[in-house]
Amino acid sequence: CSEYQQTLKATDIGPKFKLGEQLYNEGEFSKANRLFSQIVPSYRGKPQAEKLMFMYAQTQYGMRDYFASSYQFERFADSYPKSEKLEEASFLSAKSYYMRSPVFSKDQTETKVAIEKLQLFINLFPKSEYLAEASSFIQELDGKLERKAFEIAKQYNTISDYKASIKSFDNFLFQFPGSSLREDAMYYRFDSSFNLAIRSIERKKEERLESADRYYKDLMTGFSETQYLDRAGKMHEEIVEELKNYSTKS
Amino acid sequence: VVNAQIAQPSGEKYTISEITVSGSSSFSEQTIVTYSGLRKGSVILIPGEEISEAIKKLWKSGLFSDIEIYIKDVKDNVASLEIHLYDLPTLHNLRITGVKKGKFDEIIEDNNLNEGVKVTENLITTTKNYLESKYRKDGFYSTKVNINVIPVKDSLNTKPGVNMIVAIDKGQKVKIKDINFIGNTVLTDSKLASSMKNTKKKVFGRVWKRSKFIEDDYKTDLVSIIDTYKENGYRDARIISDSIFVNNDETISININVEEGEQYTFGKIDFIGNTVYTDQYLNAILRVREGDTYNGVLLEKGIADETRPDGQDITNLYQNNGYLFSTINSVETNADGRVIDMEIRISEGKPVHFNDVSVVGNEKTNDHVIYRELRTRPGELYSKENVVRTVRELSQLGYFDAEKLSPNFNNPNPNEGTIDMEYAVEETGSSQIELQGGYGGGGFIGTLGLSFNNFSLRNIFNLESYKPLPMGDGQKLSLRLQASQFYRTYSFSFSEPWMGGKKPVQFSTSISYSNQFLYDSSTGEADTDRRFNILGVTVGLAKRLTVPDDFFTLSQAISFQHYNLKNYSTGLFTFADGYSNSLAYTIGLTRNNTWNDPVFPLGGSNFNVSAKLSLPYSLWNGVDYEGLETEREEEESIYNNPDASASEQNAAYTRMGEIDQERFNWLEFYKIKFKGEWYTSIIGKLVLKPTIEFGYLGAYNQSRGVIPFERFYLGGDGLGSYSLDGREAVALRGYPNQSIQPVDRNGNTTDDGAAIYNKFSLELRYPITLAASAKIYALTFVEGGAAFNTFRDYNPFQLKRSAGIGLRVFMPAFGLLGIDFGYGFDSLPGQSEPNGWETHFIIGQQF
Repeated sequence: CSEYQQTLKATDIGPKFKLGEQLYNEGEFSKANRLFSQIVPSYRGKPQAEKLMFMYAQTQYGMRDYFASSYQFERFADSYPKSEKLEEASFLSAKSYYMRSPVFSKDQTETKVAIEKLQLFINLFPKSEYLAEASSFIQELDGKLERKAFEIAKQYNTISDYKASIKSFDNFLFQFPGSSLREDAMYYRFDSSFNLAIRSIERKKEERLESADRYYKDLMTGFSETQYLDRAGKMHEEIVEELKNYSTKS
Repeated sequence: VVNAQIAQPSGEKYTISEITVSGSSSFSEQTIVTYSGLRKGSVILIPGEEISEAIKKLWKSGLFSDIEIYIKDVKDNVASLEIHLYDLPTLHNLRITGVKKGKFDEIIEDNNLNEGVKVTENLITTTKNYLESKYRKDGFYSTKVNINVIPVKDSLNTKPGVNMIVAIDKGQKVKIKDINFIGNTVLTDSKLASSMKNTKKKVFGRVWKRSKFIEDDYKTDLVSIIDTYKENGYRDARIISDSIFVNNDETISININVEEGEQYTFGKIDFIGNTVYTDQYLNAILRVREGDTYNGVLLEKGIADETRPDGQDITNLYQNNGYLFSTINSVETNADGRVIDMEIRISEGKPVHFNDVSVVGNEKTNDHVIYRELRTRPGELYSKENVVRTVRELSQLGYFDAEKLSPNFNNPNPNEGTIDMEYAVEETGSSQIELQGGYGGGGFIGTLGLSFNNFSLRNIFNLESYKPLPMGDGQKLSLRLQASQFYRTYSFSFSEPWMGGKKPVQFSTSISYSNQFLYDSSTGEADTDRRFNILGVTVGLAKRLTVPDDFFTLSQAISFQHYNLKNYSTGLFTFADGYSNSLAYTIGLTRNNTWNDPVFPLGGSNFNVSAKLSLPYSLWNGVDYEGLETEREEEESIYNNPDASASEQNAAYTRMGEIDQERFNWLEFYKIKFKGEWYTSIIGKLVLKPTIEFGYLGAYNQSRGVIPFERFYLGGDGLGSYSLDGREAVALRGYPNQSIQPVDRNGNTTDDGAAIYNKFSLELRYPITLAASAKIYALTFVEGGAAFNTFRDYNPFQLKRSAGIGLRVFMPAFGLLGIDFGYGFDSLPGQSEPNGWETHFIIGQQF
């Protein structure tokens, strides 16, 4: 029987704390976590609890159990508002939320919570050493939300629902004015409006060609040297050509 | 000892030197002090907020009673505090008297009367109130509840405990002796009494509606009386007074005094504010004409039918066409001489378009799999119908909990005419694992089946995505290995519902391989030298159509099978060594509009018609099949001739094998199938499901003959254990598996399966639970089927009939499991007695 197993089975809490701390320092988080979880209730209210609770949260963080660690760090920050570890715990709590955020193409509820928590941290500790890291996380998470909205709008383009695509890109451009995907969004919005106009029923064609023409001009105003210059130019020529039919008639 | 609240008239600052705890508590002193939020060494005002905060905190924990804080040893603004409290008693034993045992759980759960809860005054009072009002609602007006709390000492436990006795005396249910109507002349007493749906007079022998008096129901029934008058033109009818008398025999009598007023008729009906629809069109929906007897209820239904959310009324007409913010009111403009002129005032509002459409809760499934299924997209006109259909179709994907899928409307903006739409989903397990080992067919049979219904192929090399498997792209992957001593089957299939992501074109492919061995009677084991191997490959495309409507799916597939026999002679073929190839094209048309839950549809229908065709090789390959047919008949007569010598018979048999090999080297056939099933809800969730099935296997060249593969095997549970030779097992309960073989006009039975079959079935289903974790439903059925070899023998009504009952359990991880007991009323081919009872186990979905 190893020392670890013996301590795990023993009833004394003192040795568990000691061995747990040792394992924690060695980076054996999952072993340390098992010991800590046994003694956390007994230490509640005692002076050592502050240190224990912090280490306990750290082990969960180390085990990548970010659901537990976000909660434990948050609880630590609530319970020990005067602790010297307060800033670190607050940051790690927010970072745990950040780690929980899934890939952009899945539900982003966690992402939104993480942004909120990180922003709260920045507001509370504006001079923190973790500030740069926290801001970069927020940026990354914002990027996810942008990417999500962009990809959904682009999918409508892919499945040929051009009306839904135009509306979604409109919403995207309104919602994320500083997005790095702005150029792509404007191009695909133009692409959708082009396809809608070219395949339009006669009754609505002129109106749709004109709106496609407007979207082209929006793209060129925003990004005159866009990477889509060639493709967009060709499509625009076609629109101009088609529009001639209407100007000669009137 | 000085009470802090009284002794110190004004707040003064004290440094706390010490905090002690007195009274009786099982919690440690330290815990209580920490919990109170008071700290040794801190400076606080006494009396002040900190002390009252501390008492509040301790109160709120719900663990203590009689909490007081004292200040002691006051000296130079230094003082110590004493927290005095007692633990609340915990509940040990609960006894409930006066009601049936079956009700205990409900009472305990609703009031949280579990062992160990803290017994507070509040708990006792709320429990008492809960019980009294609960039984009052059921008509027990004189219910009395008495709760006794008895302290107990527990020798082991230092915590104070109590036993609780809840004595319930329901008393007599109040019955109604009679209901008297006063003042009614046009409508009879009995007509009015029958309009009271829940308050009924005591009548001997009525079972459905027992007489009872429940205040709320009675109030509703009074409204029903007025509604009955309104339906008959008495717009002004009202109840002047109603009174209730208690009789001596614990019954009551009710007197209702009505004033009928006069009968009215509808006058002119004007529509105001309608710009989208004409007066005529709206009038047709309203179904009220000038000169009709006034009917307030019908009028309401025409405007907005509260009883039917999808009814044909003016409100829904507007709601389904984008007018989300429309309001419709009816106003009486003139009531001269008992003729009422009506104005239907319509405020149409702006047509509403969807602005942002989102999905939340998809923790596993990727956006693109869900958004492509939405029927409400940004920029589109609002339509209630499309919202309902989207919810239905999302639940049919099988990735989400159908019961928890909800459409939410956010940020309605009547000025701009926009609304945001959010579909909240909750993921459920959509993978199934089948791992079986069993003894059957003369040896051990092991099955490993894996089916992933929401697979992600592109992530197959991305280790990060294994949670536990790459999921979320809506692809379906299944693997199945089955092995016993006598056969082995390996199969793999994959399908992608939107090939290329542009159009709903489903791509599917499957590969399978199987070997079967013959039984060696000398060793009792499988003889691996005598085998039958089948290799099959299928590639298919299925496309959702938009014409005639968008419930149609057109599917096409090309399939290839290679059959290889070595020393394998059975009744099926006359060639023991040989091969056969089958290359066929299948085209099928399906229409499926069943709804809601794919496991338990409540309505809709499902039709499927398909044709499987091979090339007509005999048209150009120059083989004289007619000659071969004649030759085979001659050889067969030699073979069957008892006078022929053994060597002659053997030679004839060999030649027959050669001829068969020539006939079946490339299989030439066509197969047509039809299946239709309907789901109709009879009452609530009681669903009737009729089914009709038909199948025909034919040959282009009659001399070449109908092939021995691809045949129909009727009877039993319909599960084909090794159906790679194209055979189709058709379920017919009440008979053994694949037992109903065709019988020709001469009464001869073959056991090679049928070329024609038909089946009719009627099933009644009722769900026991439709929770996400397990769906269970019971069913009862009558069905019948018939199998034939040629159209000359065909008689669709010569059915093998059966009836029975069954149960189905669906659990996301295991799929559908079920058991049916069927009674076969007819005899099997070659027998004379009815087949009798059969038990069938059903694995997998047979719908």
